[in-house]
Amino acid sequence: MTAVSPDTRGTDERGTLLRLYREIARGRALEDVVHRLVQERSFRGFFHPGRGQEGLQAGVCAALDSDDYLLYAHRGLTYLTAKGMDPVEVLGDFHGRVVGSTRGLGAGTVHCVDPERGVMGQGGTLGSSFTLSAGLALASKALGESKVACAFFGDGASARGTFLEAGVTAKAWGLPVVWVCENNGWAVSARVQDVQGTNDIAPRAEALGFHTQVVDGQDALAVHEAALEAVAQARSGVPAFIEAKTERIDGHYTGDMQPYRDRDEVAVAKARDPLDLAGGRLVALGEDPAALAQIRAEAEAEMAAADAAARQSPFPDGSRIHEGLWA
Amino acid sequence: MTETKPITYAWAINHAIDEEMERDPAVFLMGQDVGRMGGVFGLTRGLFDKYGAERVRDVSIVEHLVVGGAVGAAMGGLRPIAEVQFADFLLLAGDESFHKMAKWRYMHGGRLSVPMVVRAPCGIQGGVGAEHSQSPEGHYWHTPGVKIAVPSNPADAKGLLKSAIRDDNPVIYFENRRLYRNKGVVSPDPDLLVPFGRGTVARPGSDVTVVAWSAMVPAALEAAEVLEREEISVEIIDPRTLVPFDMETVAASVRKTSRLLVLHEASLTAGPGAEIAARAADELFELLDAPVKRLAGADIPIPQNMALEPFCFPQTDEIVSAVRDLAKW
Ligand SMILES: Cc1ncc(C[n+]2csc(CCOP(=O)(O)OP(=O)(O)O)c2C)c(N)n1
Ligand SMILES: [Mg+2]
Repeated sequence: MTAVSPDTRGTDERGTLLRLYREIARGRALEDVVHRLVQERSFRGFFHPGRGQEGLQAGVCAALDSDDYLLYAHRGLTYLTAKGMDPVEVLGDFHGRVVGSTRGLGAGTVHCVDPERGVMGQGGTLGSSFTLSAGLALASKALGESKVACAFFGDGASARGTFLEAGVTAKAWGLPVVWVCENNGWAVSARVQDVQGTNDIAPRAEALGFHTQVVDGQDALAVHEAALEAVAQARSGVPAFIEAKTERIDGHYTGDMQPYRDRDEVAVAKARDPLDLAGGRLVALGEDPAALAQIRAEAEAEMAAADAAARQSPFPDGSRIHEGLWA
Repeated sequence: MTETKPITYAWAINHAIDEEMERDPAVFLMGQDVGRMGGVFGLTRGLFDKYGAERVRDVSIVEHLVVGGAVGAAMGGLRPIAEVQFADFLLLAGDESFHKMAKWRYMHGGRLSVPMVVRAPCGIQGGVGAEHSQSPEGHYWHTPGVKIAVPSNPADAKGLLKSAIRDDNPVIYFENRRLYRNKGVVSPDPDLLVPFGRGTVARPGSDVTVVAWSAMVPAALEAAEVLEREEISVEIIDPRTLVPFDMETVAASVRKTSRLLVLHEASLTAGPGAEIAARAADELFELLDAPVKRLAGADIPIPQNMALEPFCFPQTDEIVSAVRDLAKW
């Protein structure tokens, strides 16, 4: 298990970090739109905000090629835009409009899809991505492609039995998987320490023989560098694992008042906001704060426009439910 | 079609896999002991030597991975044939089969495809008990998004498996272990497919229609022989696939006989026969002269004691008497 230290940073730290900053800002602006949809009740399902975890999501996705496979998790939306999905399609899914990536069936957090960009969907049952990513990675290997299959999941999902089944097989077959555990310390109201007897997920991946790294998930650049290494390992046939220690700033879902959680802990989490941390580092590297404000304003404008565009799209008619079951 | 020597149902399955692997390099097999050993029932013998470890993949005790990995591999461009050692074990991979395999395409707007086959050896045989003897086709018939094949003889076993492998949808292929040694003439033509959704008349007759599939077809044929001596003429319809289900062939038969018995090995209550009986009541009411009858497995877990097995699923004499009762109407 290797901890990524800041000294391994590449030469173009500022350029890379700016790229990540933009993706974090885009993901956050997109989620802010979704929060409004929840408030105005134009989206009625559960939304699991990713606030606090956008840095690691952007950092990993920036290390993937556009044809690498992605099985994202339910915790926010930064994965999707960072992998290249059109936010109009994502918001179209939340609005249940035909422009959505599911072409009107609706989605929100899970089920958004974009095969052309390697976004292979997501299921509502946690822990199903372990086996699916192993299968995608097997296809890539068997067909002589160089794609990796990247799967995100939480500390809670890492306890599923599928982790072990897919993990041992990925190791046995040398599959190009990159598994990214977003360890935010909570599964709804359950502390990982209380229900798993540990705060650390990585040792179990290391025991399976994965190339394993533990990284500060609030440091987008550190995650990015770990991900570049993980992807290289996976492409060479060594399954790779990253545990990103992260913070869930908001509740489990939008509207969760977190009565089970200590206020001070939430304050600490807020103080480790990945957008602020990346911004602070950029300013220290000489970036003009006004330029950062500009990036955030552009992200907000982009997502507002995407929302307007999605709302222009028609709702499907009832016959839509009978389409797409069979190939 | 060249006449050949009869081959077993088991060997017909082997031939189907072999021919499809030869035809399409995207087809591969995975499961426990499918490699060097050639399968616990010997069905995959020779394939490891011919195609190697990359295409005939042994796995550990990982049913979730076998089915979920097949879903992923199928989405990624392969055509997996996933083998579970017993159909019962498919239920271990409940999330992967009910949720991932069946729903992944639809949930994602029809934009992904999952062309895969699960081979599921089913049926009561050999004293292997409650967790190695089930025929769970009804569980999956109740799950929109999977096709279901239930072959009853070697020719259909081969032709349906080849169709399943070529299908762009997920298919569960239930192969009944009691049929493995049954022999029949099978075309060596590698392009001969048995289409899904087309039932067949396993035996023509005029008095009573019996719908039966899998190992219940030979049992029904035996019963029909007995009944013929009593001048009761039985028509046996083998739907061959449950999804899609060929109701037209059933209707055409009931139009002649006006009497319908539905027969299956899986337990009776809320079983697959209930669906067929309900459809018959709904769609064929005016053709019927008698209530639709079901004869099916007992509503119990299968005991380990082999001597009790015959009490667990319809036997020839029970089929005979059920048909006799119907013929009285
Ligand atoms: C198999 C399964 N069990 C339970 C749930 C309900 N559920 C949704 S999110 C969640 C908590 C997940 O915790 P974790 O994996 O740590 O991810 P996080 O929400 O913290 O990002 C639960 C229990 C589910 N969707 N799937
Ligand atoms: Mg968590």
